[in-house]
Amino acid sequence: MTAPLVRPVPVQAAAPASSAARAWLAEAGAVFVKDWRTELRTRHALHTLLLFAVTTLVTVSLALGPMGVASSERVAVLPALLWVIVLFAAAAGLPRGFVHEEETHTAIALRLAGTPSAIFCGKALYSASLLLALEALLAPLYVAVMQLPIAQPALLLAALGLGGLGLAIASTLLAAIVAQAQGRAALFPILAFPVLLPLLLLAVELTRGAVAGGVGDAVLTNLALYDATMAVAGLMLFPLVWNP
Amino acid sequence: MSTLSVAGRAWRWALWAWISICIVGAFLYAPLAAKFIGQSSRILFFHVPMAWTSFVAFIAAGVWSILYLWRRDPDQDRAAAAAVEIGLVFCFLATATGAMWARVMWGAWWNWDPRQTSISVVLVFYAAYLVLRGAVEDLEARARLCAAYAVLGLVVAPFFFFVLPRMVSFTLHPDAVINTRAKVEVESRMLQVLLASSLGFNVLFFWMHGVRVRLLRVAARRAPQVELEEVPA
Repeated sequence: MTAPLVRPVPVQAAAPASSAARAWLAEAGAVFVKDWRTELRTRHALHTLLLFAVTTLVTVSLALGPMGVASSERVAVLPALLWVIVLFAAAAGLPRGFVHEEETHTAIALRLAGTPSAIFCGKALYSASLLLALEALLAPLYVAVMQLPIAQPALLLAALGLGGLGLAIASTLLAAIVAQAQGRAALFPILAFPVLLPLLLLAVELTRGAVAGGVGDAVLTNLALYDATMAVAGLMLFPLVWNP
Repeated sequence: MSTLSVAGRAWRWALWAWISICIVGAFLYAPLAAKFIGQSSRILFFHVPMAWTSFVAFIAAGVWSILYLWRRDPDQDRAAAAAVEIGLVFCFLATATGAMWARVMWGAWWNWDPRQTSISVVLVFYAAYLVLRGAVEDLEARARLCAAYAVLGLVVAPFFFFVLPRMVSFTLHPDAVINTRAKVEVESRMLQVLLASSLGFNVLFFWMHGVRVRLLRVAARRAPQVELEEVPA
């Protein structure tokens, strides 16, 4: 007896709420895993992010010279430069998430296969993990090369974590917009700058606080608020951007 | 000529007269504000109304974008686009007049005062909106993506107006009209001209906006015909 060509699919009963939530999580997880799998095959974004960050770091370090910045101006200058490096790397690597889907024409399959909000979460999670991994490499290097004394390491971690998360969430939504337009690579920084500016200013402020101490809780709260706002805006706007 | 079209003509002449009176009033009727160098306070009657009008225009563009995402009516997309285009002109003029005034009062065209920072970001945001409009060919996708971007602008705006000014603790910008002390601190004749001028500029905006929307509608109707004519015989 030969095996049937089409395996019978078990008929599912109407899914209760908890299993719908589980299916949604599984979908988001599947998008996240898929993105990492394709990334690890080519390592394109990984290399772009890393090389962009290292190149900018070397440029900054060389330009400032062996003496670096005068200690009186260190607090003002160095945190800003750190976030410029992170922004450069993010702008170079993060839009790829959706641009790649459109270029290889897999976006249409993804549109058919997944719930928009789950796709957004999976993609944002992927971008966030990529960016946080980069920061984990970059930040210690930067602190060492620039001889930056850190007064409050926990605050630096908070700045990097919340800043990276917000950058990833906002970039995911913007990348979804940019991927459907012409001139994607040039368009992303243009669209992203005004949206990301509050995040960057808050992150620089928080990093300054980590270096010098004495920053109010307000900055941390506002940064977390920005992340939450972007997450909500992303979840609401992404289905409209994604589905024609 | 019907009564309606006579009225339609008349209100434009009335607007012309209204704004003319505002200009004359700004120079001859309103007194000079205290602590301002020379005649520099007179720019208030043009700078502030233009800033307010651009603010109204961008809010209107956001509302039309939300309506578009909800109803998917191409007219709402055109209305949002026209509001951004004309709002950008007003915003640019407000920035330019602000810089002129800053040169006289503060000695520098530009010094990243919080108001200057937020208005420059607003300029960049809506310029980016227009760049995005130019970068999407498909009309439906263009309307959808631009509307989403405009709504994103409304979401980010509170951070510029409420969070960033707190980080930069001082501003040199006069705040006599809109301030935290919850009362108007302008001489009454100045306030009359300022409010009249603001009304004039806002009506001017909605008139220009109506014309622009009609133009965009005509252009959209004509576009397919032009393509058909270009087919070689």
